Amino acid sequence: MFCYQCEQTYRSDEGAGCAGAKGMCGKDATTADLQDILLYVCEGVGQYLHRARLLGATDIEADRFILFAFFTTLTNVNFNAAKFVEMIQQASQIRDRAKALYEDAARAAGKTPETLSGPAAFAPADTMAKLLAQASEAAVRKDAAILGEDAVGARALILYGLKGVCAYAHHARVLGEERDAIYATVEHALDMLAREERDVATLLDEALALGRANFLAMEALDAANTGAFGAPTPTSVRVTPIKGKAILVSGHDLKDLHAILEATKDKGINVYTHGEMLPAHSYPKLKAYPHLAGNYGGAWQDQQKEFAEFPGPIVMTSNCLIEPQPRYRGRIFTAGPVGWAGVRHIADENFAIVAQAAQALPGFTEDAPEHTITIGFGREAVLGVADKVIDAVKSGAIRHFFLVGGCDGAAPGRNYYTDFADEAPKDTLILTLGCGKYRFNKHDFGTIGGLPRLLDMGQCNDAYSALVVATKLAEAFGVGVNELPLSLIVSWFEQKAAAVLLTLLALGVRNVRIGPTLPAFLTPALVDVLVEKFGVQPVGDAKSDIAASLARAA
Amino acid sequence: MYKVSLLTRDGATIAFDAEPSDTLLDAAERASIYLPSSCREGGCGACRVSRESGDVELMAYSSVALSEDERMAGDILLCRAQPRSDLALRAPFDEAAVGFAPVPKRRATLVAIEPVGSGTLRLQLQYKDDPTFGRAAQFTAGQFIELTLPDGSSKRSYSLANAPNWDGTLELFIRLQPHGAFSDYLRDRAAIGDTLLVRGPQGQFTLDEASAAPRWFVVGGTGLAPALSMLRQMGEFADPRSCRLFFGVNKVDELFALDAIDSLKAALPQLVVTLCVWKPEKEWREFTGTPVEALAQALLTAPERPDIYVCGPPALIAAAEEAGRSAGVPHDRIFSEKFTAA
Ligand code: SF4
Ligand code: SF4
Ligand code: FES
Repeated sequence: MFCYQCEQTYRSDEGAGCAGAKGMCGKDATTADLQDILLYVCEGVGQYLHRARLLGATDIEADRFILFAFFTTLTNVNFNAAKFVEMIQQASQIRDRAKALYEDAARAAGKTPETLSGPAAFAPADTMAKLLAQASEAAVRKDAAILGEDAVGARALILYGLKGVCAYAHHARVLGEERDAIYATVEHALDMLAREERDVATLLDEALALGRANFLAMEALDAANTGAFGAPTPTSVRVTPIKGKAILVSGHDLKDLHAILEATKDKGINVYTHGEMLPAHSYPKLKAYPHLAGNYGGAWQDQQKEFAEFPGPIVMTSNCLIEPQPRYRGRIFTAGPVGWAGVRHIADENFAIVAQAAQALPGFTEDAPEHTITIGFGREAVLGVADKVIDAVKSGAIRHFFLVGGCDGAAPGRNYYTDFADEAPKDTLILTLGCGKYRFNKHDFGTIGGLPRLLDMGQCNDAYSALVVATKLAEAFGVGVNELPLSLIVSWFEQKAAAVLLTLLALGVRNVRIGPTLPAFLTPALVDVLVEKFGVQPVGDAKSDIAASLARAA
Repeated sequence: MYKVSLLTRDGATIAFDAEPSDTLLDAAERASIYLPSSCREGGCGACRVSRESGDVELMAYSSVALSEDERMAGDILLCRAQPRSDLALRAPFDEAAVGFAPVPKRRATLVAIEPVGSGTLRLQLQYKDDPTFGRAAQFTAGQFIELTLPDGSSKRSYSLANAPNWDGTLELFIRLQPHGAFSDYLRDRAAIGDTLLVRGPQGQFTLDEASAAPRWFVVGGTGLAPALSMLRQMGEFADPRSCRLFFGVNKVDELFALDAIDSLKAALPQLVVTLCVWKPEKEWREFTGTPVEALAQALLTAPERPDIYVCGPPALIAAAEEAGRSAGVPHDRIFSEKFTAA
C-alpha cells in the first residue's frame, strides 16, 4: 500500500506516506490496495463516459456510481476489504456498459470508436488474492519515475480533490440535487488521470476546474439540505445528556439523520448528534422533532472514548469513522459509503434495528447539568442581519472577520486553532465550520452589538455558506472578496478540505492560511506555485498570524 | 513491583504494573486491562504470549495450553506467570482483543429447553433487563458465556450459537454428560423460568474480520455452536466472503440444528455445508468420516487457501491443524477453540 491523501499521513526523514501494513488511520494494506484498484477501474469508466458525452450520450447511473465509489475511499470512510472486491466487479461491469455506450454513440455519429488503453483496458481479477497481485498497476505513485514528482503531486491533487467533489456531490444527490456539469468535470478529470497527463500547468488548470465543479457541488448540497429541511436558523443546542434511551448519529448525512428521527418517533428515544452532525439542530424540519435531544462529544478523533461511554447505539452516516473498539463494536452501525468489516451496515435507510437497539440498551440513567451552545448561522441567518454587520463594520465595532474552519485531527499542533479563536481581538467576528470548531465552540466569546462573536456556519459541507456570505459582503462594500477585512484560517485533514481549497483558489480567494501542515503530496515546486499565484501560506503561530492578518487589512 | 509491557500484533503497547505475587493476568485486570483468557488455570492456552525479555515464574499448567517447545521458545501463560523482573511481552492478538472493562455479570431466565439429536439439548436463555447493560445480548460471534446454576453450586462455559441480538436471547447447545453437575441439573431439575447467572461474553475465538480469505469451519458435535454463531452473523450482515462448514458427529442420530443450517443457506447462498458422520449405522448419503477428513479432501482442490476455524475436542483440533499445515495453510490462519466436555 501507499497512501498520502490525508494530513495525518506517516511522515519521516525519508518522506511522507503510509506504506506499512496499516495506515495511520487504521486502513490496512489490503483495503488500501483495493481502493486504488477501484479508482483505477473508475478512471476507465471515465475514459469512456467522457468520450460518450462529447458525442451526446450519457449514463447517469455510472456517474452516480463513481461518486459513491470515490466517497468510499476518503480517509476514515470505508475499511471493509470485501466491499471493495464487490465494488471493483461492479465498476468493471459499469465500464463495459460505458464502453458500449461510447462505441454505439461513435458509430451512430459515423465515427470509428477509439480503442482505449490504460484503465479502460485493465482487467480486474475476480478474487481478492489475484486483485492484490494487480495493485501495483493502480498505485497512486506508479510511474513516478517517468512522470516526475511534480506531475505526480499535481495528479494527486486532482485525485484527492476529485474525492472531495464526489463526496459533496453524493451527499447532494441522495437528496435529489444533481448537476450535469459536475459529472462532465468528473469524467474529464478521470480521463486526464487515465491518460497520464504530465504537464504540470495543464494538471493545475484541471485542478482549478475541479475547484469550480466543487463550488457547484457545494451549491447543490446547500440547495439539497435547505430544500429538504429549510434554511438553518440560530438555535441553542444542549450539549449535555438527558436521562433516557439514546441514539448517537455521527457523520454528515442529514437524510440519514432524518430517517433515524422518523424511525424513532414517539418511542421515547433521544437522538443525539455527534461531530459534524451538530448543525442538524439548526434546520427547521429536523429540529421540529422533539426527540432530537442534543449534541454529544467532540470531534471525530475523540470517538473511541466517547462511543465507548455512550449508552446506546451509534450510527456513522459518513466520515469520519475510526476503528470501532470492542466495547462498542456490537452497537455501532454504518450507513451509506461507510463500512468496517464485522460491523452491521444499513444499506436501505431502514433504521428500525437501530431503534430496537436503543430500546435494548440502558440509555442515560440521569440528567447531566444543562449546558447549551448556539449554532445555525448559515448564509441566510448571517445575511438576514447583513445590515447590522455592515453598520458594525462601518462604525468600527467589527474590525475584522476570521474564518477559522475546517477539519479537526489528532495532531498536537492543532491547538493553534484554539489559540487563534481565543486570541482573536474582541472587536473581531469569528466564523467557523467543520469539526475543527470543537476545539473552541464551547468557549464564551461574547457578543458585538448583539451579534455573537462566534458564528457557527455548519459542517465542512457548508463551506458554500461562507463563500456566499463573503461574496455578498464584498458586493455590499463594493470591493472584491480579497479586499474585505476577512482572513481565512483553514485546517485540513481529508479530501473534502482539499476540494474546498481548490474552490477557494478557483474563485480567486487569496492569502488562505492552511495547516496544521501542508499536504504531503504537494512538492516544493507545487507549493511555490500556490504561494506565488494565490498567496497560500502555512499557519505559523496564532499571535503573529492574527497580527499579520490585521496588519494586512489595515 | 515490576513494569510489564505487552506489544500487540498490530503494534499497540499495553503497559501495567505487577507485584511478584500477582499472575500477570490479575495484575492487568487490576489496571482495568482485560487480556484474552478463558480458563485462567493454565488449561486452555488462550492467554499465551511470548516473552521478549525478563523473567517469570510459571505455576502449574497443562501441556495442552503450553507445550514444552513453546515454553522453551519463551512463551508463557499470563494466567500462570508471576513476574520476577520487568517484562517485555509480545501478544499474538490485536489491541482490539483487549477489553478495558470487566466481564459483565448478568442474570438470565431459562425460556426453552429441548432435546435436539441424541444426547444434546438446546437451551434458550433471556437476559433480564439491567441498569448497566440493558437487555441486549451483545457479544462477538464465536464467544462463550459462563453459566452458574441457580443454587450457585456449579459453573460451566458454553459457546453461544446465535448471533448478537437486541432482544437478549442466548442460544446454547449442550451435550449431556453422564455425571456432570450441570448435566444433572439440566436433565433432572431445570425448569422454565429458572434464573441463571451469566458471566460473559468471553473468549477470542472470533472471526478475523480483517482477513479476506474464504472461511472454513471445521466442527465436531456441539463445537458447531460458535461456528453457527459466526455464520449467522455473516448471514445477517450479508457477508460476501466464500464459506464452508464441515460438521461432524459419530452417528447419524447425533446430528442436530439441521434446520438452523438450512436457514443459513438461505441467508448465505455461498455457504457449502458438508455433514460428516464417522460411523453411520443407517443409510447415509453425505460424507462418511470425520470433518477433518472432509477438510483434507476439500483442501486438495481449493482454489484459495482458506482461514480455518476449528472447534471441538483437542484431537480434532490437532488433526485439523495437521491437515491444514500439510495443505500449506499457515499456522496463524488456523483458529481454534478447544472445547472440553462439560
Ligand atoms: S488515509 Fe491518511 S492515514 Fe490513512 S493510509 Fe491514507 S494517508 Fe495514511
Ligand atoms: S470536517 Fe473533515 S475531519 Fe471533520 S468530520 Fe468532517 S470530514 Fe471529518
Ligand atoms: S486462561 Fe487458559 S491457559 Fe491462561
